[in-house]
Amino acid sequence: MAYVATRGGERAIEQAERLFRSELGEIAPERVAEVKSALPYLIDRVMGEASLYDEDLAALALAQTGGEMFEAVLLLRAWRTTQPRMQVARPVGQEALFTHRRISAAFKDIPGGQVLGPTLDYSHRVLATAVLEGETCAPAPVDPAAEPSPAFQPSVAAWQADNGLVDLPPRDETAPEDIPDVTREPLLFPAKRAHTLQSLARAETGGALALGYAAMRGYGQAHPTVNELRLSEAEIVVKHPKGTEFSAGRVKVSQAEVVSKKGEKLDLGFAATLGWNEVKCIAAATLDLNSKGAPKGAPTEEEFFLYHTEGVESSGFCIHFKLPHYVTFQSSLDAMRDANSKRKKAQEPAQ
Amino acid sequence: MSLKSLTRDWEAMSYGFLDASAKREIRRKMIKAVAVPGCQMPYASREVPMARGWGTGGLQVSLTLINPKTRVKVIDQGADDSVNAASIRRFLARVSGAPTTLDTLEADLIQSRHRIPEEKLREDQVLVLQVPNPEPLRPVQPNMSVARQMHADADYGRMWLQLYEQIVRSGRVMQGASYPSMVNGRHVMTPSPIPRWDVPKLHMARHLTILSAGREKRIFAVPPYTRVEPLVFDDVPYKVEEHGALTCSRSGAKGFFMNEIPQDDGSSKYEISDSEYGVKTIRHADGEEVRLGETWYRNGEMPA
Repeated sequence: MAYVATRGGERAIEQAERLFRSELGEIAPERVAEVKSALPYLIDRVMGEASLYDEDLAALALAQTGGEMFEAVLLLRAWRTTQPRMQVARPVGQEALFTHRRISAAFKDIPGGQVLGPTLDYSHRVLATAVLEGETCAPAPVDPAAEPSPAFQPSVAAWQADNGLVDLPPRDETAPEDIPDVTREPLLFPAKRAHTLQSLARAETGGALALGYAAMRGYGQAHPTVNELRLSEAEIVVKHPKGTEFSAGRVKVSQAEVVSKKGEKLDLGFAATLGWNEVKCIAAATLDLNSKGAPKGAPTEEEFFLYHTEGVESSGFCIHFKLPHYVTFQSSLDAMRDANSKRKKAQEPAQ
Repeated sequence: MSLKSLTRDWEAMSYGFLDASAKREIRRKMIKAVAVPGCQMPYASREVPMARGWGTGGLQVSLTLINPKTRVKVIDQGADDSVNAASIRRFLARVSGAPTTLDTLEADLIQSRHRIPEEKLREDQVLVLQVPNPEPLRPVQPNMSVARQMHADADYGRMWLQLYEQIVRSGRVMQGASYPSMVNGRHVMTPSPIPRWDVPKLHMARHLTILSAGREKRIFAVPPYTRVEPLVFDDVPYKVEEHGALTCSRSGAKGFFMNEIPQDDGSSKYEISDSEYGVKTIRHADGEEVRLGETWYRNGEMPA
C-alpha cells in the first residue's frame, strides 16, 4: 500500500495555510481600520488594480494577505465576481471632477491654474529614524492659501482643441449601460477603446511602469509631455428605479493625459484609474500614446502591453510554475533521450 | 402571486460560486466549441478564488456543469492527492455540495491537469482539461491577433515547418507534451500539456472533452467520436513516450505512463503516473475486491 502512505495532500495544504495565517496573527476590525487609515495610497493601488472601490474591503484584503499585493488584488477581484451589477453610474466629465491636485508640464500656467495639492514630489526623502527611538513625527500644520483654488477645473486638452493644437477623439454617444465591460467580455484585438482604458485602469502598477518606462527611454516612438495630471474625487450619480438621480458618494480617481508632437498637431495618450496613483497613470498614458501605429509584437503594441500588465493573470501564471510539472518534464526527457541515442548510433563507425 | 414568491432569497454566494450570467456565457461558449471541434472560443473568464494559471479555466467549466449529484474527480499530473488537485476538489465540493471520488469509473465529471486517466472513459462522463496555453501557434506566432487569422485561414504551414526542422536537426519531433493535433480535419489544437501518450486517447473517444484556459480566456472542445490526429509526416510516424516496457516499482503494473523517480545510486525507479489506478492495482494484488476498468493501452500498446 505504498501509494497510500504518500497521500496527505489535503492535510498538508491545510497546515501550510494555517502556518501562513498563524504568522499574521489575529485579524480584528482594529487592524483593518489601522491599515485603512495608515496606508491610503496602498489601499488606492489595490482598489485600482482590483477595479473595486471599497476602502474597507481593500484594507481587509491587505490585512488578510499580510500586504501581499497580488493576493490582495485577487481576493478583491474574486469577491467582485460574486457581486451582482445593480447600476451603471452616469459618466463623469473632466470639468465635474472635484480636484485636489492638478498640474501640467506643457504650460507654465493653465486656465484654472495649477494646484499642487498633496504630494511628496519636492520633499527630501529622509527616513524619520527618530520615531524608532520613541519620538513621534507629527505633521506640521498646513497654512491655508489666501484664496481657495476652484474645486472644479476645465480641461487642458479642451483649450488646446479650441486653439487647433489637438484633435479630441469624437464624442462617444454609447449609452452608459451599453459600454462594453472587460470584466464580462473577453479582451479581443483590435481592442475596443473602452476595453483598452478599462484594462489600463486595472493594470498592475509595476508592470505598467516597466513597459511605460521602456517606451519613455526610447523603445517607443513618442516622447510624452504631461499635459494634465489630476488627483480628484468623482461624484457617483446613479438612478433610482423610480427615476430620480442621486449621489451614491465620491470615489478617488486619478488621470493623466500625455501629449506628443505628431505632424502639425499633438497626439493624446490617456489613462485613468480608481484611487490616487500618479505613476501608473503617467506610465499607462504613455503606453496609450505609443500604441498608435506600433509594430506587431512591440512592447508598445496594445496587445502586448494589455496582456502583460494584467497583474492577476501574470502573477498567477508566474507562481503556477511551483506546481508539479513532472508529466510534461518526463515527456520532454523522453524526446531528448531518444534524440541523443539516435545521434550516438549515427556517430558509431560503420562495421 | 407576488414578485417575492418568484424570486429566491438573497444569498452571499451563487450556487457553484459563479453567477447565472457567467454560467450562461460559459454554456453558450461550450456549445459553440462542441459545434466547431478544436476551434478556440473566447469567453470572459471571471476571477475565481484561485490564482490564474492554477486551473481557473477548468474550474469555471466544472462549476458550470456541476450539480449536487455530480460525482467529481480532480487530477493533477495523474494524482488525485497532489496539493492543487486536493484544493480544487475541496473547493468544488464546498460550493456545490457535490460528492467526490478518486475512482475514474465512479466519476461523472473529471477535471484534470495534464493527464487523461488510464481507464477508458464512457459516454456519460465529461473530461475537463485545464489549459495553460490554448494557442498551438504560440511558438511560431506569439501575437494572438495574427494567430487567430492563421486559424481562420487554416494556415498551418509554419507549424509543419517547425516540425520538419526538428526532424532535420534532431532526427525526431522534439515536441514533448501538448503535441499539436488536428481536430476533425480542420482546426489544429494544443491538447493541453497532456503527454504524447495521452493524445491517442482523444481520437474517436466516447467521452466529451472540454478544454478551458482561464487566464487566456479560451474554451475549445473535442466532442465524442471526433478525429484527433497528431501532426505527423507520412514517413515519420507519431511516437508516444517509450513507457510501454516500464514496470511500476510499487504496483508491479506494466505498460502505462510512468513517473521517473531518481534514486540515490544514480539509477531510476518508475511508478504509475495515474496514481489511483496504481492504488487500485496494489489493492487488487492484495486480494481486495477492486473494479479495474478497461484501459486505453493494453500491454503498453494502443490497439488500432
